[in-house]
Amino acid sequence: MNWLGFRTLLVKEIRRFLRVPGQTVLSPLISTSLYFVVFGVSLGGRMEQVTGQPYLPFIVPGLIFLGLANNAFLNSSSSLFIMKIQGTVVDLLVAPLGPGEILLGFVGGAMVRGLIVGLLTWAVALLFTGLQLAHPGATFAFLVGTSYVFSVLGLIAAMWAEKFEQINFFPTFVMFPLTFLGGVFYSVHQLPEPWHTVSLFNPMVYMVEGLRYGMLGSSIFRPLLGGALLAALAAAATSVNYALLARGYKLKQ
Amino acid sequence: MSAPVLDVERLVKRYRDLVALDGVSLTIGTGEIFALLGPNGAGKTTLIGAVCGLVRKTSGTVRLFGTDLDVDPIGPRFQVGLVPQEVNFDPFFTVRESLRIQLGYYGRPPDEARIAEILEALDLTAKADVQTRALSGGMRRRLLIAKALVHRPRLVFLDEPTAGVDVELRRDLWAYVRRLRQEGTTVVLTTHYLEEAEELADRVGIINEGRLLLVEDTQALLARMGERRLRVSFGEPLPRLPEGLTEGGTLAEDGRSLIYIERAGRPRASEVLGRLYAGGADIQDVETRASRLEDVLLDVLHGRSGAPS
Repeated sequence: MNWLGFRTLLVKEIRRFLRVPGQTVLSPLISTSLYFVVFGVSLGGRMEQVTGQPYLPFIVPGLIFLGLANNAFLNSSSSLFIMKIQGTVVDLLVAPLGPGEILLGFVGGAMVRGLIVGLLTWAVALLFTGLQLAHPGATFAFLVGTSYVFSVLGLIAAMWAEKFEQINFFPTFVMFPLTFLGGVFYSVHQLPEPWHTVSLFNPMVYMVEGLRYGMLGSSIFRPLLGGALLAALAAAATSVNYALLARGYKLKQ
Repeated sequence: MSAPVLDVERLVKRYRDLVALDGVSLTIGTGEIFALLGPNGAGKTTLIGAVCGLVRKTSGTVRLFGTDLDVDPIGPRFQVGLVPQEVNFDPFFTVRESLRIQLGYYGRPPDEARIAEILEALDLTAKADVQTRALSGGMRRRLLIAKALVHRPRLVFLDEPTAGVDVELRRDLWAYVRRLRQEGTTVVLTTHYLEEAEELADRVGIINEGRLLLVEDTQALLARMGERRLRVSFGEPLPRLPEGLTEGGTLAEDGRSLIYIERAGRPRASEVLGRLYAGGADIQDVETRASRLEDVLLDVLHGRSGAPS
């Protein structure tokens, strides 16, 4: 293991997004906070309680999830994709960095960005809701697990994509709809059939509910279900990504 | 005896129907400057890419410092540097930061003295803290070279390092390459400037359509395949070619000039001049031109007299 090589890539990835904080941290923070203000503060007063929680605190875990997952994904996907376009990926491929170092370097940097955006979103929410942290351990596990899974998925997307249009495919056509339909703003148990059953096939639902359990102490699913799903996704995504990096999929000729 | 720095055996790279490398075998020793020559699309960059981890080979063996890359693809790369053909730069960082990152990738802690040394050697000191996106094309090329060398690799690949750069950088780079050789670094160079190869390379390899046509000591190759062209102008027309010069000599129809091509096995050009004087020729002007690597390359590519490697 080239530890110094891994650490260099990790630090470089973190410094890269910190060089443009307005674009990588502030902008997503503002857009996520706007959801909070519009849906939570403006409309929340007219909503009933959801699964025993007032509406405003109910949507906080989902919004944190939204900011965290999106930014973790966008960081790793844009970073590697831009390196491919600019040709600087050659520096990585020639250097004595194995698939493990490259994977962990990119994913580590993306997790840091996702967690920063998620935690800042939480900080904004605290101004309105006060601190609610029922299960710190579960909250930490879901935050870290979610950021890891989406960072790895972002890296896979960057390897696959050859055009800017393709790199935007996942966030726009997969992540965004699944997240919005994943119980961020409502409980899937409130949905009529067949949408309730359809929603149960959306993995985001279990991740959002897992985070909800950690922060609010209540969830419509057992948190272990979300935890097991995250662990399975992490293992599968890591295996696929490692194999693709080892093969140099769309990186090497 | 130490293992060769680079040992390639029957290397094949196929892209669907295209054979980019067709069973290339090549051995390069320590401290050697080796120039890989050939036309565009001959397979030079593919060969370098297969060694450096940018190209997945179809078959064959590549050993770096005695280690088979199929067994350990990472370890030997700590000692390798590459200047790629295409200029690239990371716009988020300065020149100095880029070099620090490069050192880190190669498992080296930040070494400001080494960074200062390489900046100085490539005339980048004044640009050390400038963002790379603000550099001119020539400066970006210099940075590319600095990045390939900052970790003191034992083997450096320079894939057309002076393409599109000014004469000054070319001369600086030549001087630096000679210095690297003195320090025991092995350099593999591809270039379209054949005087660059002639000036620097201990050996040259000529590749075309994925096949290595020839590998030979540069000077020996020039002596074996090179030729000297002699042109003599006469005040009074020469009625016919002197005896013994019919092979290699061509007299103009008006008898006022003679062109003689000196090759191995023929009389030397000086001997020809001697015979002309002795025969009373009215010599007014003499021009000679020794053939260069460019001529030899064209001869080999056109199948005139290449020896297999």
